Parts: sequence; C-alpha cells; structure tokens
Amino acid sequence: MEQLALSVKELNKYFHEPQTFHVLKDISFEIKKGEFLALTGKSGSGKSTLLYILSTMDTAYGGTLTINGSKLTGKAQNELAAFRNEHIGFVFQFHYLLPEFSALDNVMLPALKLGKKPVGEIREKAMENLKLLEIENQAMKPANKLSGGQQQRVAIARALINEPAIIMGDEPTGNLDSKNTRIVFDIFRELAQERGQTIIAVTHDDDFASNCDRILELMDGKLIHQ
Amino acid sequence: MIVSKTNYKIANAHLTSRIKQTLVAILSVTFGISMYIFMNSFMTGVNDTQTGLAFSTLAHIRIYNDIPKDNTNLFKNKVADETLVKVRNPKIIQYTEGIKNSEKILNMLDTIPNISGITPQLNINVFFRNGATKVNGMLSGIDVVHEDQLFGTAQYVIEGNWMDLDQRSDGILLGSGLAKKLSLRLNDNVIVTTEEGITKNYKVIGIVETTLASVDNTKAYIRIGFARQLISKNMGYVTDIQINVKDYNNTTALSEQIRQMTPYKVEPWQEANGQLEAANKLRNIIAIAVSLTILIVAGFGIYNIMNMTVNEKIREIAILKAMGFDGKDIIQIFLTQSIIIGILGGIVGIVFGYLVSMVVNHIPFKIASLETLPITYRSHDYVMAFVFGLITTFIAGYLPAKKASQVDPVEIIRG
Repeated sequence: MEQLALSVKELNKYFHEPQTFHVLKDISFEIKKGEFLALTGKSGSGKSTLLYILSTMDTAYGGTLTINGSKLTGKAQNELAAFRNEHIGFVFQFHYLLPEFSALDNVMLPALKLGKKPVGEIREKAMENLKLLEIENQAMKPANKLSGGQQQRVAIARALINEPAIIMGDEPTGNLDSKNTRIVFDIFRELAQERGQTIIAVTHDDDFASNCDRILELMDGKLIHQ
Repeated sequence: MIVSKTNYKIANAHLTSRIKQTLVAILSVTFGISMYIFMNSFMTGVNDTQTGLAFSTLAHIRIYNDIPKDNTNLFKNKVADETLVKVRNPKIIQYTEGIKNSEKILNMLDTIPNISGITPQLNINVFFRNGATKVNGMLSGIDVVHEDQLFGTAQYVIEGNWMDLDQRSDGILLGSGLAKKLSLRLNDNVIVTTEEGITKNYKVIGIVETTLASVDNTKAYIRIGFARQLISKNMGYVTDIQINVKDYNNTTALSEQIRQMTPYKVEPWQEANGQLEAANKLRNIIAIAVSLTILIVAGFGIYNIMNMTVNEKIREIAILKAMGFDGKDIIQIFLTQSIIIGILGGIVGIVFGYLVSMVVNHIPFKIASLETLPITYRSHDYVMAFVFGLITTFIAGYLPAKKASQVDPVEIIRG
C-alpha cells in the first residue's frame, strides 16, 4: 500500500490587501511518499502561495491540509512550529543561513531545537550531511564567507538534518548557475529515490521541472495539470 | 525562564556580531546605574551631613517640663460646660519648673534597650558681661562625659580642653561667636548674671565652635553641678534630659513608650525640627526622581538598539520560525540579549558609580564644617541600582522581543 505524504482538499485562499483577490481556487491533490514533485506556473499563478500553505507557515486559508496522516488545519502556531521542526525541511531561493554561525552550526540548528539527540550525535550527523553535499571542508567557515552555491548546499544539509518526511523548496535553484543547479537537482533526486523523502519544489525552470517525477501546474489560482 | 542552550548561542552571536551597538547599549545602562548610585550616595551624604550637623546640638528625643498649656479657662472640667465662665486676665501663680527628681527618670531610661545615650542638662537664660558689653545667652550645665557622648562637643573645642570643665568649679567654655562679641580670650574672666540677679565670675577655659551660628553666638558650658549651685537647686534638678537612640528615624514609637512613664513633655526631634525632616525627605525625592529618569532614558536607549537589532535580523527570525522555532524561542533569544546587556552594564555601572562617588567625595567644599562634598556609601543603593537597572532593561528588551516573536515568516521570506 502506497502511503500519502501530503494531501490538500478544496483549498481556497484570498488576499484582502489592497483588495480582495481569490488567489487559490478549490485546489485538491495528493502526494505520495518519495515523490519528487515540481510546482510550476507563471508568476502570480499562486504557486508560492500554495507552497507556503503546504509549509504550515501560512494558516489563513480555507480547506484542509494533511501531512503524514495528521490534519494540520486549525492547529496553534506553536504546535505547527514544532511540527515543521520535525517533519518539514526548507530550502529557499535566498539561502537564509545565520551569517555569524559556521556552516556546521547552521546545519545543526534545527536538530538542536528538536533536542532529541545528544549534541555529539547531531554534530556527526551534520558532518555526514555536509559530506553528502561535498562541502565538508567548509564546515567551520562562517556562513557569510561561503559562495552562493556552497550556501545553498549548506541550506539543503540543514533541511535534511532532522530527516524530515517532506523537503520543500521555493525556487531552490533560482539563484544558482547551471552547474550548481545540476548538483542541487541530483541531490534532490537521490534523496527521493534512496531515502524515500518527498520533495516539493516551486520552480519556473522548465528543464528542472521536466526532470521531476510529477509536475503540478497552476494558472490563475487553478490546478491545470497534475 | 530557562533559556535553551541553542537560543543562548544565537543571542550571543547577535551580541558579538554587532559589538559596537552592544557596547553602546551596555554604556547606556552603565551610565544610568552609575548616576543612580552617585545621585543617591550624594543626597544621602548631604542628608547625613545635615543631620550630623543638626545633631551636634540637638538630641533625638528631649524630655522637659513644658509650661502648662491653655490657661485661659481655669474652670475647665471644674464646672458644667453650659456654665458661662469669664476670667479676666488669667495668670498661673505657681508651677513647678524643670524636672525635680531626674535620677528616677534617668534610671528608668537606662533600662530601655534602643537608647544609645542619655545626658541631663540644666539650661539657664543668663547675661554674659565683660566690662560694659552685655550679651544675652544660654548657660548650659552639662554632664561632661555624657554630653560629649551624645553630641561629640569635645571635637568642636578649638581652644582649651573639654575635660577641664570637670576640674574647675569656675571654669566655663564659651561659643566662639559669644567670646568674640564679649572680646574674651582663653583665661579671661566673664561675669554671668541670672534672671534672679545672682552674679558669678567665671574663667574662660575653652572656646567651642560648632559652625552653627545660633549655638556659637549664644551658648556657654559649665558643669551641671556648678550650674545647680548657681541657681540654688538641689541634686536631682535638671531642665532637660536629652536622649539619643540607635536609629534617629525611629523616635516616634520610643517617645510614646517614654511618655507612658513620665508626666513630662517628651519631644522627638522631628516634632521640634520639622524643617530638617522635610528637607531630608525632599532631597530623597529629588534623588529618586532624577536617577529614575536617567534609568528610564537608558531604557529607551536599549529599546532603540534592540528594535534596530530586531529589524536587522528580521530575515533570520523568519528562517528560525520556518525551521520550527516558536514565538517563545524568539522572545528568549532577544530578551537574553537585553538581560546580558543589563547585567554587564549593571556590573560596570556599579564600579563606575563607586568611582564617580569617590571622585566627587574628594572635591573640596569648604563651607561650614565640610571639607569636601559629602558622599555616603550604602550597599543598599548599589543593590537597588542593579535591581532597577535590570527591571528597566527587562522591560526595554521585552517589547522588541515581543515584536520579533510576532514576525510573520511568510511575509518576510516571500519579500
């Protein structure tokens, strides 16, 4: 039996500023575990908005969101934060590392917050992740001394540290050259195939999208392809 | 509140990455706390000097025989209230002056534990004469040892020797102003005339200068036994019993206790010298108002800097929240920063406040009996400064921290 990683039912979202605008219209879909999925659409189609609802950070919507079998709609902010910490990893277009911290410390951060393992074990795991992304030699450098591609890989290592069920990316390669894009894509592919982690990436890179397992395409707030 | 190691680490990173701003924030706390300490030490110093000066002639509690009050209606309580009474030009024809049997009261006072010193006095209004010069003044018959114990009069003797009073039955100590008015110097003779017309010749064996003009210009001291001889009174006779207590602010309850034991008037110093107490209290209010204002200004400084930090780090806050740090964590991260600033600023402020106080304490100020500006060092001021400093930084840090905790990560990350 194939398990569901994520499902949404009849998702509706409105923006009220500057005037009421229906951004997402009756969106329903399901994502299986281990799927590598691209979320595409023109700018303004609502794909990023959809991703932030899936990420549990945006709670102002109608409909229901279920991840890993737990219904998240209507939960309190602090519960959602704890859920994100354990089950969702993020990679953003702008890497958002803590500039004062070393690459290693940045990677360790979500695990330290989760606090389920001793620090020594977390450090080992973080080094492993950095090795996987081939930047273990940069581990002790402060994050703001790394190049863009390196920073993005550190961000991915950080997203992986708690072995989340789902990794979400908002234009994870949008800021990278083709070589680094390739590297990041291969890493995602590997994670989905070998570790069974679900990957949802918002992208407008057609090349990137076409290599994914599945594409969800949005247009004017409606799902036109899934 | 237990701050998690991770949150502390982030807070620490924020502080050390913007070391200049952190230093400015610490300095503003330092300034506030040191000024609080200095203002309060200085005001307490001034108060202590003032009261010290006042208590060089004034006892904490004075017992004396008051003139009977309200003698306009001699029939009061003697006839029914509705009776119309008219007495023309009423006079008291006899009442007991002074305290006749002081031994009994003195022995009784000895048993009260909070009293630190007692001395009997026999004060007589007299004329001092030297040739044609005649000056009205007060001759104070005193117990040489106990008087010095209470008022430290011996240290104000600028010529001669206080203890000599005990030796010579014709010896007198004059206030410096009084001696000057009468053109008298050490070993000269002065004639004292009482209200009853008794005249006696004394030898000046010392000059006293308390710097209080009202005392120096009118007062002279002789031994109490010789004063009794002068006005032909028996052994136990005194006009005043002066009492010092351990804490001069606590005279009210004790006065009440003594009142139960004696028929005489018992007067704590606050009653006779309301202006002294008022001045002390007013100075304290000024000190507190000024120092709290400075602390609040320091608080605004911290508020400002923490607000800037929050704005600067808003993307980091958003990403922390995305990673699963909740509102409480964010509050911890930023509140920890301001508390660290408060503690560091507090410690430096205490040291700095002490140094400023010490410097001011060495500034020459030669008026009255002062040599330098007065400072009183009280540990209580230092503790309060630290506590107030921490409270201020806590409040000033909490507001930006609260704001940070309410950042909506979606809004920031999406830009």
